[in-house]
Amino acid sequence: MKKWIIASIFLVVASLSLAFTWNNATYYDKPIVKVQEVTVVEEETIVDSYRNEDHLVTQQIVGEWQNGKKKGKQVEWTHIASRSGAADFLLKERMHVFMERHQGEWMAVQVKRDHVVVLAMFGFIGFLLLVGGKQGMFSLISFGVNVLLLYGAIHLYVQTNNVSLIALAIMLAICFVVVSLVSVSGLSPKTYVAIVTSLVATFVSLGVVLLIFAWTNERGLNYEEMQFLSRPYRTVFIAGLIIGSLGAVMDVAMTMASTLFELAEQPNATLARLKGAGEEVGRDIMGTITSILFFAYMSGSVPVMLLYVMNDVPLNYTFSMNLSLEFARALAGSIGIVLAIPISLHMTLRYLTRKKVIT
Amino acid sequence: MSALVLMSIVLFALMTYVGKWQGVRAFIAFFLNFGALIVLLFFLVNPDVPIILVTALLVVVVGVINLFFINGVHEKTKIAFASTLLTALLIFGWITWLNEMGSIQGFGEEEMDELTIFSLLVGLDFVKIGAAVIVMSTIGAIMDVAISIVTALYELAKYDRAITRRELFASGIRIGRDILGTDTNTLFFAFFGGYLALLLWFKDLSYTFGEMINSKVFSAEMVTIFSAGMAIALVIPITTILTVWRVKKSDLSS
Repeated sequence: MKKWIIASIFLVVASLSLAFTWNNATYYDKPIVKVQEVTVVEEETIVDSYRNEDHLVTQQIVGEWQNGKKKGKQVEWTHIASRSGAADFLLKERMHVFMERHQGEWMAVQVKRDHVVVLAMFGFIGFLLLVGGKQGMFSLISFGVNVLLLYGAIHLYVQTNNVSLIALAIMLAICFVVVSLVSVSGLSPKTYVAIVTSLVATFVSLGVVLLIFAWTNERGLNYEEMQFLSRPYRTVFIAGLIIGSLGAVMDVAMTMASTLFELAEQPNATLARLKGAGEEVGRDIMGTITSILFFAYMSGSVPVMLLYVMNDVPLNYTFSMNLSLEFARALAGSIGIVLAIPISLHMTLRYLTRKKVIT
Repeated sequence: MSALVLMSIVLFALMTYVGKWQGVRAFIAFFLNFGALIVLLFFLVNPDVPIILVTALLVVVVGVINLFFINGVHEKTKIAFASTLLTALLIFGWITWLNEMGSIQGFGEEEMDELTIFSLLVGLDFVKIGAAVIVMSTIGAIMDVAISIVTALYELAKYDRAITRRELFASGIRIGRDILGTDTNTLFFAFFGGYLALLLWFKDLSYTFGEMINSKVFSAEMVTIFSAGMAIALVIPITTILTVWRVKKSDLSS
C-alpha cells in the first residue's frame, strides 16, 4: 500500500518536472527556438593537418520562437557543425536552442539541456527507489542534504571572502560524514565509531599527503592542467583531496565497524579473534575500494587525452599534462583507504573493550 | 623525487604492511588498471572501431585485472563478470541517448581557452566517447557490487540447500541494498572533490542557475553522477537474477 503511494508520488513529480522543463522557455531571458525542420544542404569532408578526417555539415533549419515578443513566429537560418561534435553540435528536430544575433544573423549558440539533466536525475531517483527501497530513499535524502551543504558552503565562501577554503572543506567533511553515515546505518554506537574513525583516517592521511608534498616540493604535480580556476589552484586542489576520499574512507570504516560489532555479539568472541577477523576483512576490501577510486578519478581526462593524441602530441607528455593531478588524487585517496583499516580496527576494538562487550 | 613516486612508495609500504601478500596484489592491480586506461585510449583513437565494442573490451580488461587476477577464475567471478558487462552496456545505451538528446559531448565553451591550439575536427564520435568515459568511471563500483552479491549468495546457497529461488532472490536484493548506499557515496564524493573548482568558477563568474544547468560542462557532470548512481542500482537485480539462475541450475544437475 505504502509502496504504491511513493511510486505514484514519484511518477507525478517526475512527469510534472519533465513537462515543466520542456515548456519553461518563458522563464529564460535569452531567446529560445524549437527546431522543427532540419535539411542537410551540404556535407563536406575535411582533413586536418594531422590527417584526421571529419565532416562539416551545413544544415538549413526552420524553427519556432518559444519566448519573447516573437513567440510563435517562425525563423530560418543556416547551421554549420562537425560530425564529431567536439566543440560544436548538429541540430536535430525537437531540440531547443538558445539563439544569439551575430552581424544581423540569428544563430544557435547553445542547446537547452535542463530537461536532459532532469531526466537523468529522475532515472537515478527511480532506480534507487525501485531497487533500494527504504535504504535507497535514505541514500537519496543524504545525497540531497550533502548537495545542499556543498552548495551552502560554496555560497558562503564566495560571499564572505574571509573564510579559508581548507577550513571550510574540513567543516564540510565533518558534516558529510555525519549525514552520510547516520543515513546509512541510523543512530547507533556502530555509527558513532564509524564517524570518528572516518574523520581520524581522513585527517591522518591528509597529514601524510601534505608531508609528502612538502618533502618533494610537489614536483611532478602539473597544476597548470587544472581547469576552471578562479581561485588559488593549490587550495582548491587540497580542498578537493579532503572531500574526494571521504566516501571511500567511510566505506572502509563502516564495513570494518559492522563486521566487528556483529562478531562481538557471538558468545565465543575474544579480542584476538576479532583482531584477526578485522585484519582479514581489511585485506579483502582494500583492493576493490582503491580500484573504484582509481576509475572514478582517472576516466574524466580521456576526452582531452584523445584530443592530444589525435593532434600527434607524444603519449608521455599527454599523460603528464592530463593525469598527474588525477593520479595524485587517486594515490592520496588510496593512502586514506589503507590507513583507515588499522585505524578503524584499533578504534572499534578499543570501544568494544571499554564498553566491556569483549574482554 | 617526484611527489607521485613518493606517494606510490608510501602506498606500497602501507598496503604491504596492512595487507601482506593481498596488499602487494592490490598494489599491482592499482597499476595494472593503468593498462585498462591505455587500452581504452588506444582503441578510441581509431574512428573505425565501434565504441560500444571498445566499452565491452574495457569491461573485459578491467574484469581480468580486478576479478580474475584478484579472485581467480571460477563460476562466481564469471557471473560477476557477466553482470558487469550487461550493466555496462545498458548504461552505455542510456547515456548515449541522453547525450544525443542534449548534445552533451566533447568540450564546453568554458574549456575552450586551453584547447585553441588543437585541431578539433578529429573525426571521433564524442557522443559515444562520453558514454564510454562514464561507464569507465563507474566500472570499479559496478564490479564491486556484483562480486559482493555473488559471493554472499553462493555462501547462502551452500549453507542452506533447501533455500528457494524466491528467498535467494530476496537475499540478493537485501545484500545489494546494504552496499548501495556506501558505494554511491564513494563515487559521489570522488566526483564532488573533482568538481569543486568548477562549482567555485560558476559562483565566481556569477552564472545564473539557468546558465549553469544548460552549460555543457555542468550538465555533463550531472549526467555522470546520476548515471553512475543508476548503474550501481541496476547491477543489483541483474547480478541477483543471474546468480539465482546459475545456482539453482547447477543444483538440479547435481
